[in-house]
Amino acid sequence: MIVELGHFALVLALVLSLVQSVLPVTGALKGDARLMAVAPPVSVMLFLLVGLSFVALTVSYVTSDFSVLNVVENSHSTKPLIYKISGVWGNHEGSVLLWVLILVFFGALVGTFGSNIPAPLRSATLSVQSWITAGFLLFILATSNPFTRLARPPIEGNDLNPILQDIGLAIHPPLLYVGYVGFSITFSFAVAALLLGRIDAAWARWVRPWTLLAWVFLTLGISMGSYWAYYELGWGGWWFWDPVENASLMPWLAGTALLHSALVMEKREALKVWTILLAIFTFSLSLLGTFLVRSGVLTSVHAFATDPARGIFILVLLCLFIGGSLTLYAWRAPMLKQGGLFAPISREGSLVLNNLFLTAATVAVFVGTLYPLALDIVTGEKISVGAPFFNLTFGPILVPLLIAIPFGPVLAWKRGDLLAASQRLYAAFGISLLACLFCFWLWGMQRVLAPLGVGLAVWVMIGASAEILGRIRVREVGAARAFSRLTGLPGSTWGTAIAHFGVGVTLLGIVTASAFQTEQIRTMKPKDLVSLAGFELTFEGAVPRKGPNYTEEVAHFTVRQGGVEIARLDPSKRVYTARQMPTTEAAILTLGVSQLYLSLGESRGDGAVDVRVYYKPLITLIWIGCVIMAFGGLVSIADRRLRVGAPKPARKSKAVAAAQPAE
Amino acid sequence: MTRKQRRLTMIGAAGVVLAAAVGLILYALNDQIVFFQSPTDVVEKGIGPGQRIRLGGLVEEGSVVRADDAHVTFSVTDTSNSVKVTYTGILPDLFREGQGVVTEGTVGPDGVFVADNVLAKHDEKYIPKEVAEALKKQGVWKGDN
Amino acid sequence: MIFWILIAALTAVAALSVLVPFARANAGRAGASLTGAAADAAVYRQQLSEVDKDLERGMIDAEAAKAARTEIARRLLSAADAETAEQGGGSLSNWPRKLVFVVAAVLIPAAALGIYGLIGQPDLPDQPLVARLSAPAETQSVATLVARVERHLADNPEDGQGWEVLAPVYLRLGNAQSAAQAYFNTIRLLGPTSKRQADYGEALTMANSGIVSADARASFEKAVELDPKNAKARFFLALALGQEGKTGAAVVAWTSLLEGADPKEPWVPAARMQLAELKGEPVPGQAGAPVSGAQLPGPSAADVSAAQSMSADDRTAMIRGMVENLAGRLADGGGTVDEWLRLIRAYMVLGEKGKAEEALTTARQNLADNAEALSQINAFARDAGL
Repeated sequence: MIVELGHFALVLALVLSLVQSVLPVTGALKGDARLMAVAPPVSVMLFLLVGLSFVALTVSYVTSDFSVLNVVENSHSTKPLIYKISGVWGNHEGSVLLWVLILVFFGALVGTFGSNIPAPLRSATLSVQSWITAGFLLFILATSNPFTRLARPPIEGNDLNPILQDIGLAIHPPLLYVGYVGFSITFSFAVAALLLGRIDAAWARWVRPWTLLAWVFLTLGISMGSYWAYYELGWGGWWFWDPVENASLMPWLAGTALLHSALVMEKREALKVWTILLAIFTFSLSLLGTFLVRSGVLTSVHAFATDPARGIFILVLLCLFIGGSLTLYAWRAPMLKQGGLFAPISREGSLVLNNLFLTAATVAVFVGTLYPLALDIVTGEKISVGAPFFNLTFGPILVPLLIAIPFGPVLAWKRGDLLAASQRLYAAFGISLLACLFCFWLWGMQRVLAPLGVGLAVWVMIGASAEILGRIRVREVGAARAFSRLTGLPGSTWGTAIAHFGVGVTLLGIVTASAFQTEQIRTMKPKDLVSLAGFELTFEGAVPRKGPNYTEEVAHFTVRQGGVEIARLDPSKRVYTARQMPTTEAAILTLGVSQLYLSLGESRGDGAVDVRVYYKPLITLIWIGCVIMAFGGLVSIADRRLRVGAPKPARKSKAVAAAQPAE
Repeated sequence: MTRKQRRLTMIGAAGVVLAAAVGLILYALNDQIVFFQSPTDVVEKGIGPGQRIRLGGLVEEGSVVRADDAHVTFSVTDTSNSVKVTYTGILPDLFREGQGVVTEGTVGPDGVFVADNVLAKHDEKYIPKEVAEALKKQGVWKGDN
Repeated sequence: MIFWILIAALTAVAALSVLVPFARANAGRAGASLTGAAADAAVYRQQLSEVDKDLERGMIDAEAAKAARTEIARRLLSAADAETAEQGGGSLSNWPRKLVFVVAAVLIPAAALGIYGLIGQPDLPDQPLVARLSAPAETQSVATLVARVERHLADNPEDGQGWEVLAPVYLRLGNAQSAAQAYFNTIRLLGPTSKRQADYGEALTMANSGIVSADARASFEKAVELDPKNAKARFFLALALGQEGKTGAAVVAWTSLLEGADPKEPWVPAARMQLAELKGEPVPGQAGAPVSGAQLPGPSAADVSAAQSMSADDRTAMIRGMVENLAGRLADGGGTVDEWLRLIRAYMVLGEKGKAEEALTTARQNLADNAEALSQINAFARDAGL
């Protein structure tokens, strides 16, 4: 019953989303408050309905209800509970349902907490959000229904792909989807503003918390995905430039650009046209990512089992949303008034620069991801574009951006003084130069890029902190005053500094882990020893073990440093019973922020086993930096100033009075 | 500066950055892409030593020979031709004789393909798309894909 | 019934979520809702106070603050103008009132139920696994019963009787791998007997597509050790010798096995065929489908005996199934000379000369780089008249 109830709730959500697609936006355009009033409660209702349907599917997974085809195909009664639950979104149908759930969740958030947003904009936004919701609900019910039933249920399911049976799958896709889909609300805001023809500085202020929220989750989602691939695939790599990874990186780059350009729009009412376009592009790239993953047009680690009908359906949705919004944009954008003026050297100028580089980086990733596809269609030639391409394009494009990061926040709005700004950064520059020289002294001249990379990372980190330190001016005002200044700084300033600092941390991790990783590949017999980066690993032998739904061969290793045992590592080779599918479980030893990574290969008849050991210095900084970035975003959201209270019915005279002193 | 001059400065700067980026992308596309080849392509087209390619096909039955320290040799075949491959490292979990595989590397002077990357499917439902198509050309693959 | 009540309630709540706010909102524009211009003005006033605060904190200098104030004030004024204009705007039409009521009260329930009626299966109850497993035994399928025993054994893995009951069922269901595991557990827990060892070996052999592996042979040898008369074990040992190419020893083994055997035993014809084939004699018994089963080294004796107790149609179907399996496997992954030969021979026996020729061509292509294999195939083709 619960299954069918969930199914019905989904159908009802489709119908209701169609109603929501029409009524509030009509109200906003005609100025009818009754129609607009419908939007918030219905947005909450949509969330409850899709939520009910999601819960119903989850229940059927947890109880192993094999009368549901989706459960049969992706679950197994012996699977641990957590993977029964995470299995709900470990497949195409369930993950689209999660996609829609997040879509309506953001709608409900705006419906509930968006009372500071003017009713017309809010209702139109919720309507636009419902267009997307209706499109995807239709997609689910027509091509990917998770509630398809079997009259004669089998007694056991096919189990979930073992690679996906990992705590990473419980965390990574939901985070990523919240980010991915979160940009839908920014898109809806942009389209609603275009429909209503009111695009001003206030719009940017209303949209900023939502953009930030999506960005925070996308940052976390991508970094968790990277860490998951790192330890689960057993290859020791943390980024593969796989098309699906790129598909999540593109909206992140565009979304980061959007965050920055919206700032200019909010403060100076400049870059309006560009910001709206970015909002449209960011979500379009999210949709494109969804299309790439699910249509099977690209070969990828992540590709779902695909079905051409689904691909075509998503392609149609993609064209409809992207084409429609761009048409609307082309029609409305020329009507926008010119915004505030600014000199090339200014805060605005630096943000424009940021946007330029981020856009160029997005284009590079876009070309690298889609060029093979285009070439295949045009000439039939099969190529792959891998890490070398991206290193050669993405890297050089980002370096100037990274150099520029510390300058942005210290430049004044409108007309900046580069010299004055540089003076505030000379300490940061000195420290990073020292770091750079120290690295040259430490590692010699063979690797020129690594010390430069470290120097750049230190520059970004210290430069980001210099911004805060510069503001409190300890030497001038004394410690007590300085502390109160510190706490008095607005959240968005803190957020900026923290997030920029995080960028530097990630960069440091990338540079050191790529340049100074050491590895050994050996065939080891029991009691054999391999030494690496000052560690000695002894293979103690392998023993079989049985897990809930797999059997595994666990190899025991002892790690010694200077003759002292510091840890034991147990990498294993698993075979999942239901699918008879093998996986490699790497063992990772975290030492400070560095890691020892141990992965098993084929085991030989005589008890020997192939072993690959890596030492990856400072590698965890890559993900720690991302978490710091996300934290910076959260601090920025928490800024009280973003929550402009709903104004009391404004009197015209008061508004003018408030404006007068400035005249 | 007048409004117009400012605009021009901005647009000029943007143009320079974008032109540089496009140049970089084009250069990289010329230089850094890797073509997918089947064993037949390698044999017939005579891929020169040192040229980086992706070689895909089926791992020939009985061809896998493992040596110490994770050195392995095997043959990749599209049933008409086969190419010998050497690789050092951990093979993917689903690397199997008779299954699809994609290897990346260069043809050595002795005609043996030296791979530095081996990809097998990640799921029993998945066969590398290029491999499937190359095999279809040879009339071997009968998947519904 | 409860289901339909819940459906009705859900639909009603959905309809009300449209109707209630619609009816409650004032028809006019005032009320709780906020016009664009007023909200804009609120933001700009806030920005003004922020400029003051920033100036106070020393984050911007006085000049910048003044410029910012001027700019924000300009926006504020234009927002105030817009507000006046909005207030002067025309009154609202009442057109959608009835329409909205119709949409909410009629269209939503009708469309939802209509679509659900098309794609839903309201009469299908939930079937959580635990409930299915605890249902009365007579209402359950074999698969369910197996699952029940499996559950029991998962909780009590040391229950040897349970494994012994389950093992032959697995074998009958074609799950030789699990059967072998179950026999293994039986022997481990209840101790070896000749019959168990022979059954274990048989399961291993079937799991290995009819080839007697070293493990299986060890088990059969143990069975013969425990009971030298164990016919099944001796049968498979003889088969193993034949598979290993030790023709002489195999002939001896088959002959001694058939000596004094009751000719009514189901395995006897299969044994005779094996013997005849090894000796190169014409195969006894009727020509056609059942014989071909024995000619294929692939299927185990158990398959063969199963084939003999089947109807002719079923038998052909089973053999065809096996042949197709083999063909599929070879198409996917190369295959050895012997496998190809087996396939071609099977097609010949089934009277499908076209397919045999096709397989021959493919085999030649596949084994092109193996001269020895090619000559073997060509020799076979000549003999078979292909």
